[in-house]
Parts: sequence; C-alpha cells; structure tokens
Amino acid sequence: MKLFYSGTFRYIIGRLGQALLQLFGVVTIVFVVLRLTGDPAQLLVPQQATAADIARVRHQLGLDQPIWAQYLHYLAGICHFDFGYSYVQNRPALSLIMERLPYTIDLAVAALIISVVVGIPVGMISAVQRKKFLGRAAMPLVLIGQSMPAFWLGLLLILVFGVWLRLLPTSGAEGLQSLILPAVTLASLSFATVARITRSSFLEQVGAEYVKTARSHGAGMGRVLFGHVLRNASIPIVTLIGLEIASLLGGAVITETIFAWPGIGQLTVQSIDARDFPVVQAIVLFVAVVYIAANFVTDMLYSVIDPRVRITAAEG
Amino acid sequence: MKVQAVRRPASRRALGRSLSVIAAAGAALIALAGCSLSSPSSDSGSSSSSSSGASASSITIDLANYPSTLDPGLQYDESTYSVYRNIYDQLLRRDPKTQQPEAWIATKWSNPTPTSWDFTIRSGVKFSDGSPLTADDVAFSINRMLDPKFNSPQYANFSAIKTATATSPTELTLTTATASPTLLTYLTTLSIVPKAYVQKVGDAGLNSKPIGSGPYEVESATSGSQITLKRNPDFWGTAPSIPTVVFRAVPDAASRVSDLQSGQAQLAADLTADQASQLTGGSSVQVLSAPTERVAYLALNTLGDTPTKSADIRKAISLGIDYDSIIKNLEGGYAKPVGTVLTPLSFGYPDKLASNKYDPAAAKKLVQESGVSDPQVVFPSSPSYDPQLIQAIQSDLKKIGITVTIQNSDQATYLKKVQDPKHDWGSIRFGLWSCSCLDADGVLYPLFHTGTIWASYSNPDFDAAVEDARNTLDKGRRASDYAKAIGILNDDVAGIGLYQVDAIYGASSKLSWKPDAVQSMYVDQMKLSK
Repeated sequence: MKLFYSGTFRYIIGRLGQALLQLFGVVTIVFVVLRLTGDPAQLLVPQQATAADIARVRHQLGLDQPIWAQYLHYLAGICHFDFGYSYVQNRPALSLIMERLPYTIDLAVAALIISVVVGIPVGMISAVQRKKFLGRAAMPLVLIGQSMPAFWLGLLLILVFGVWLRLLPTSGAEGLQSLILPAVTLASLSFATVARITRSSFLEQVGAEYVKTARSHGAGMGRVLFGHVLRNASIPIVTLIGLEIASLLGGAVITETIFAWPGIGQLTVQSIDARDFPVVQAIVLFVAVVYIAANFVTDMLYSVIDPRVRITAAEG
Repeated sequence: MKVQAVRRPASRRALGRSLSVIAAAGAALIALAGCSLSSPSSDSGSSSSSSSGASASSITIDLANYPSTLDPGLQYDESTYSVYRNIYDQLLRRDPKTQQPEAWIATKWSNPTPTSWDFTIRSGVKFSDGSPLTADDVAFSINRMLDPKFNSPQYANFSAIKTATATSPTELTLTTATASPTLLTYLTTLSIVPKAYVQKVGDAGLNSKPIGSGPYEVESATSGSQITLKRNPDFWGTAPSIPTVVFRAVPDAASRVSDLQSGQAQLAADLTADQASQLTGGSSVQVLSAPTERVAYLALNTLGDTPTKSADIRKAISLGIDYDSIIKNLEGGYAKPVGTVLTPLSFGYPDKLASNKYDPAAAKKLVQESGVSDPQVVFPSSPSYDPQLIQAIQSDLKKIGITVTIQNSDQATYLKKVQDPKHDWGSIRFGLWSCSCLDADGVLYPLFHTGTIWASYSNPDFDAAVEDARNTLDKGRRASDYAKAIGILNDDVAGIGLYQVDAIYGASSKLSWKPDAVQSMYVDQMKLSK
C-alpha cells in the first residue's frame, strides 16, 4: 500500500500524464500539417483522370469531409487502436508498421551494438591516452565517422564489399550477411557520437579527487577506470544511448533506401511521397511513443547507476 | 576481372561512351525505320547469341518499389503491374512489334454497333486454384473496378464501359455510353481475377493470397522487400522458360546498378542515362532500352496573367530550346525528337510531322517584337523531374532574353498548384506523360481540352477536333481530327513536345528480352542462359 503514496509512484503517474499530453499534441499537429501539404487523391489516380475521378476517390477516402470531422473520426479510431487503412496498399496502417518493425529493430540493435562496443573503448582510449599516439589517432577516426554521410559511405561499402570483393550482398534483406553493411553504415554516425561523449565525460572524471585517492591506495589504472570512472562517467553516455535507440528505431531513411532494407524508414519516405495519411500518422505516433518510452527508461536508469539520484515527483 | 566493369581506365570509358553514342544514333535510325527496339549497348549481339545453351533456373529482377498491391483492380504503377501482370492474364495483349491489341484471353471480338462489343473468351483456361476462367470472371473483373465502393484508382481507364455482361461461359458483351475508340487499348491492361475466389476470401484475401491464370504464381513474399514467383504448371499458353522469378524492391538506382554488377540481379528497371553509361562497356552486363509512349513536354500557361499569354513569347520559347542538345547531352541519346506533345507510337501522331526547330536568333527577335519588356517567367517543378533538364531550359531561354525563375516543391504540392483552376501557377511547367493507351486521346484531351485539370489553354477549334475524335470509331476521321488538333496546338504553342522517352533497363548479358513501348515486364517473354 505504501507504494501507492510513494514519490516514485507519483512521479510515474505524472510522467504518464505528460506523455499522453505530448502524444495528443504530436497526433494533432501531424494530422493538420499533413492535410495542408497536398491531396493523396491526385497522386492515386492515373494522369488522364478527370476532376470528377479525383473527387470520387477523395469522397471514398473521406477526404471531402470537414477537417474537424476527419480529426474526430481519427481520434475515435486511435482509442480503439484503429489507425486507419493505407490509401495506397489498402491494408491496415498498423500491420504495415508491424511488418517493417522487425527489420528496423534488427538494424537498430546491430548498429547500436557496433557503436557501443567500438565507441566506448575508442572514447576511453582517446581520453586516457590523450597525450600518447593511440589517443591522438583515435579522435580523427571519430571525426571521419561523423562527417561521412551515410549515402556515400553506404555506396562505398557496397562497391568494395559487394561489387569488388563479392563478400557480402549488395542489397536486400536475406539473413545476417545482408545486415552487416547497413549496420556498419548506420553505426558510423552513432559510434562517433558515443565516442565523443565518452571521451569528454571521462576527461571530466579522470582528474577528480577520488581517482587520485584510489590510485594512491594502490588500485591499478584498469580497476580504477572500469570499477569507478566508467560508472561515474556513464550518465551522459546512457542518456545518449537512450536517445540513439529512439532515433534508430524511428527508421534509418537513407541507409534503408540504399541497402533496400525493408524497415520503417523506407515505409516513411514512401508514405510521405504518396501522402498516405493513415500510414504517416501511424508512423509518427509510433516514433513518438518510442521516444517518450526511451526517455522514461533512461531517467529511471539514472537512479540505478547513481543511487544519489532520487526519483520523486516535485513537491507541490 | 569483374572489377573492370566499374574501374575502367579513362580511355576505355571514353571509347565506351563514344561507342554508345554511335550505337544510340544507329538505334535512333532503326527506330525511325519502324523497329521498336533499340539497344545502345555496344555488345548488343550478345543477348541473342547467348540465348542458346542451358537455361538458368531463376531470375532476380530489381524494381524501384515493392508492389503497392497484388490486387490488379487497384493501384496502377510500374512496380506494381510489373509483378501482377505475370500472375494474372489480361483480356488482350499487345503485339510486341506493332503495339496493336491482339488476342490473349479474348480470342476474337467484334462491335456490332458503335457502342457494343462482343468478345469470345478462350476456353480451357484455368486459375491456379483449378477453377476454370469464364466470361463471368472477366465481367466481374470489370464491374468491381466500376463499383464506386471499391474505389479503384484505375476507374478512369474503364469508365467508358457502361455494362459488362457474360452471355455464356465464353461470350462477353460490353456496352459503352458513347462510341469508345480507346476501349481495346485499355483492355490490354485489364487483368482477370477469379470471381468465386474473390467473393469467398474478399478483396483483402486476394491481395494477400493472389490467384490468377497467368504464367506465374506467387510462391512467397516478404512485404517491402521481395516477392518470389514460380511457374504456373497449369498455364494454358507456352510455358515460360525461367522457372522462378524473384522481384526485389531496391529504391536506390545506384544500388540497382551495383546489384547487376555483383551478379545479385539479372535485370534492373528504371535506370537513368547516366547509370546506363556506367554499364555499357562491361562484358557481363548490357543496357536494354526501347522507345516508350511517354513524352517529355512543356506546358505553357496561356490563361493566367503571365508573359506566356503572349503568343510571340510562346513561339519564342519553342524556338529557343536546344532540343538536340537535351537529347544528346542530358538524355545520353536515350530519347527521340518529336514534333508535338505526343510520340510517333501513339495513334494520331501525324505522318509527316517535322521535329521541333531550334532557332535562337529568330527566338530573340520574337521576344523583342513581343512588346513584353524584360519577360520574367516562373517555372514550377518538383523532385520528380530532372533538375538538370529544367536548368538547361532556363539557360537556353536566358540566351533569348527570357528570365526564368525555378520554383521547387514536392510532387503533391506541385500538383495542387498546377491543377488549381485559377491558373496562377506560373508560366512554364515540365511534365512526363504516359496514358498506357498509345492513343492521342489519352494525351491531348486531358492535357489541353478546355476545363480539364491540366489545361491552362482554351481553343474551341482544338476542343471540337479532340471531342470528335473521342466519339467515333472511324480511324480515318480520327486521324484527320488529330492532325487538325495538333496543327492548332502547335500554332498556339500551348505545349511543346521535348522528346520521346526511352525506357532504360540494365541486364545481365545472358538475358535475352525485348522491352516494349508500355514498359510491361512479361517474364514469360524472357530467356536467361546459365
């Protein structure tokens, strides 16, 4: 019973309320803005269609109703988890997303593993060894990763590993092999971000008093780094990774397009191009939920990493 | 080494290019002589020579998109019909040489009155679930598209049909509200679905598990990524030579080229002239191309308050564009000159129509005489159109004293703007037009008849001519109607035909296939050696 009155519980309820408000805002803005940008009926019909043909398609899609009526209808649908039918594919928007989601998750997880596994050590080395060769060499690498656009790196990787060496498939989504190139491409940017945040956050810590104390008590550098510094330096890193997860799950438009990877990013571009309103709305809502959830989980993790952080609702 | 396909020495590349230009010029001549196929690749002989020998067991085809649907009554875009036309049979097909509608599921037809048509339906055709294909299935396939509730985007192609009735299992009667000269040409795009099956599983069921009577049936599909078709063992026609077809959605054209070069795909659709030039010269790949009925054109706003209201300015624009340079330099030779907003493949294109003239001196003089001082024109465009081409026209017109401002927006916004009945979208717009009907009716009427969504032009004489041609089956009368309409259109310069577009495909040199004028992709017409 005590839990119900605890600060943590009130905090969670508060966050849930906030989340609903945020989602409502996102849904409303997307709904209105989409309808200002063009007419899906015009894009659906063959070129030689007449004004009457377009009007008929518009009527069938319900786009001739006043916008508030369409909006209320849409909101009512959402409450029943009905996100509408794709105008182009004539299937429920939700099932289109669910079909693409596994691919996006595969790609996101693979890219995230690469960025964390490579990014954190590179960041640590460049901080700890910053006066030595290895440390100096690490940062330019990071810079290259950050400044190489995905469409260029992707094509380069395809050319080298797909066309010249013929080691990996040039495009498609068949098995683990075809995941490698897109994952590396997608990871190149987030790896660089992870490395830089790790570096600056380590630099802040290695000069701290507790490191000197630990060293003077005879603890080895490895033990100090992994046992103490990493934990203290990890809050900004965890925050960043949380945001990266959210952005990776939102779909990687360019990478997915280059590698013909059937994830949410490709679906997004195609749906926006065709003004497939129900699908675009459903994707935006999905991405918003992912962002909010990732932020929430990140905030909760703070208290696990650093017990000094107490999660409570602000006293009113 | 395969590496050379991409990393050729500069000299070889230059040689390859000049060869491809020569080949393209030769191909253009052949096309003028009435042949519908051109293959500007320098090793065009390889495709026919390799057709002997063992057949490959499967072909992988890269399309730009995953098909929107496998229900042939719904979406009608290239990536979508490229797949479903192999699963379903069409009522008619086109003769690959003459492009005229020929027998397919309908074996014979006649029109006892100008508004009624009788078709004899081939007997012995079975859907892949074993049920027979009858005239009732054909009538059902038409009627479902005419049903407003079904909301078919193809409605406009079949709305001429008033009724479709099966009078016996092999007899179908269609009636039209008025005489419809383009009925047969649209029936080449009518795919036939099994009535009983669709009524049982519903429209969604047909989409997820398609049943047709065509040369192939669906084996498996990964939504958004690829669809595998296998040979239909009960197909009534000649069995296709390639047992398995994998259609893959590869949206990035550069990736489609890589797939060809690495051997992952044997055919790639929708390539540009630039990408084609990367492929010519390689020994394992070839470029296949064919003139299509798609025309690249400019439409000039004659109704809105813009400098193009002046007939002199419009005439000057048509004389001020360097058409040959566009065809040679921007389209890499994969285009043909035209003399109006129509291609010679379409019915109604006058026999001895001269191609557009380029005369910048005369154009400059016309601008000065027009009385419009310092003409400023607005050119709306969208990412669907090649910015290099729009900029080339901008710079051509600058030379004759017309300042062009290009306004870019996305396609949906662009359409909203240029189709607005207020005609205040600007002065010039570029477009690519294809009606899949090979008839002037599907081009001139929707683009230039008074009051249609695309027309910023109005001339009662032009309207009368295209209306008359729309409502008669008399070919001679239609031809003279269109000759007249095109004469008026060219005099008024309401539109300018820039060039006839070639469809460009990249293919393995082991593939033997002739692409056609309407960009259909019938795999049963392909041969692939091992």
